[in-house]
Amino acid sequence: MENCMDVMHLIGVYTKTIMKSWFQYKVDAVLRSLAVFLRESTGIIVVYFTLLKFDTLNGWNVYEMLFLFSLLFVTYGILILFFTGLRDFGHTVRSGGFDRFILRPRGLLFQIIFVNADWFAAIGHGGLGITLFLVSAAKVGIVWSFDKVVYYLLAIFGGVLIQGAVFLFLATLNIYLLETGSLKELFYWNARKFAGYPVSIFHRAIQIGMIYIVPFAFVNYFPAQFLLRKEDMAAYPELFLYLTPVLGIVLYLLAYLFWRYSLKFYKSSGN
Amino acid sequence: MKRMLAPYLAFAKKSFLNKSAYRFDHFMGILNTLLKIFIFWCIYRTLYGARTEVDGITMAMVTTNFVLSIGLDALFSVNDYYLPDRIGNGSIATELLLPVSFQGRMLFENLGNTLFKLFFHFLPAVVVSALTVGILPPAGAGSFMMFVVSALFGYGVLWSVSYLLQMFSFWLINMWSLITIKNVFINVLSGSMIPLWFMPDWMAPVLKVLPFSSIYFTPVQIYLGQLTSQEILGKCLIQLGWIAVLYLCGNFLWEKGKKKLVVQGG
Repeated sequence: MENCMDVMHLIGVYTKTIMKSWFQYKVDAVLRSLAVFLRESTGIIVVYFTLLKFDTLNGWNVYEMLFLFSLLFVTYGILILFFTGLRDFGHTVRSGGFDRFILRPRGLLFQIIFVNADWFAAIGHGGLGITLFLVSAAKVGIVWSFDKVVYYLLAIFGGVLIQGAVFLFLATLNIYLLETGSLKELFYWNARKFAGYPVSIFHRAIQIGMIYIVPFAFVNYFPAQFLLRKEDMAAYPELFLYLTPVLGIVLYLLAYLFWRYSLKFYKSSGN
Repeated sequence: MKRMLAPYLAFAKKSFLNKSAYRFDHFMGILNTLLKIFIFWCIYRTLYGARTEVDGITMAMVTTNFVLSIGLDALFSVNDYYLPDRIGNGSIATELLLPVSFQGRMLFENLGNTLFKLFFHFLPAVVVSALTVGILPPAGAGSFMMFVVSALFGYGVLWSVSYLLQMFSFWLINMWSLITIKNVFINVLSGSMIPLWFMPDWMAPVLKVLPFSSIYFTPVQIYLGQLTSQEILGKCLIQLGWIAVLYLCGNFLWEKGKKKLVVQGG
């Protein structure tokens, strides 16, 4: 019980210092959040303009597309509050910051998760996600019954964990390879750029990548399909609609085990 | 003339050689460009479906637009942080003492990168794209020559936009937000993510009063032979006009900024 209080207290202290450091310069904080918001809107604006001309993309109209995008941004907004430390883990290892974590009497993952949180990204992505949800949710014909609300919350939870697992897995690779920027660029950021589109429109090879390798399709496409039931779902097994939360937990556990196992091999980059 | 240019050519050579040192990153960069082209091709293939053309624009023209504008986007190196970095770490003070023009050095270092990318990024990417998704040949020898000229001017416009914006770093400490917002405008309005033929009509005046459509889209239109020679001349003059206006505004701020420059720390 005392231990639990101590942990809560520590999280409180961390959060307070994080907020202080991120919002030190107020004008700059607003400008940075706005820049992230606009940068992430680029893809949305492009989709909006394109569908003004073409009406639908493989049967998805503009509001359904916005709904599909919203899942991606809402999950990332939540994710980045907890996983900033893993996103920047390569830097932490190279600069020797990780050695400091090891010396402290707390869990390593605990420290990485709570010591930093990118609030500008959280506000930029999360704000965009909520905006898209508010614009689209009423127009895509979903009847928000109790079980659909529960499903939606579980899907968000699963989506956060799936991406968290990818982050944790890529961060763990830093223990073996000092420089993983290009891998991360290819497998995470690139995949994310087009994860907002229905996976069904892509070439078979990309579909396999998005479903089985970096399973972004389970972050937004299949949850959106559960709620919208578009025709292109016929190409995939029904089961995929329900997998998101399970997959999130399983992948995260696997990534966690890989992390625990790899820690034994950690060698400091400095001296 | 040759003696005057010599130091700048040395800067260009330096950045050219610098670039060739990171092979893995470079390879990933090409892969990234190809992936982008392929993704947009997948999207438009689905959008076109059974249609052969939309508003007189064929799928082959759309593909050519993406290959060229995404290719040029990768080719055109502009370091947005050239001046901000130097003001941030104080090295601007020593740079100003050098007997070479700061702007000249900045331009030639960027050009060195661009030349490297022309051979080792742009051309391979275009060749691979031509073999996979396909690309239309230029409308004629004349069109191709004018495409090269207007692509050069397009680079000039892109460079000048960045030049003007970088001058604000004399007054602002953090440039990341402004530069990021500038890039949003370029991405949406230059035609590299949505071919400008398909922009809604009410966006036409916006595209007209901003310089972004003359970066990639003007060269693409010339390449496809969509413009008469008179229109080509007009569009190229617009490009030159933008370069002049943006560069002069940038220079005005440069002179003002130099006077008030305060370098933090020693």
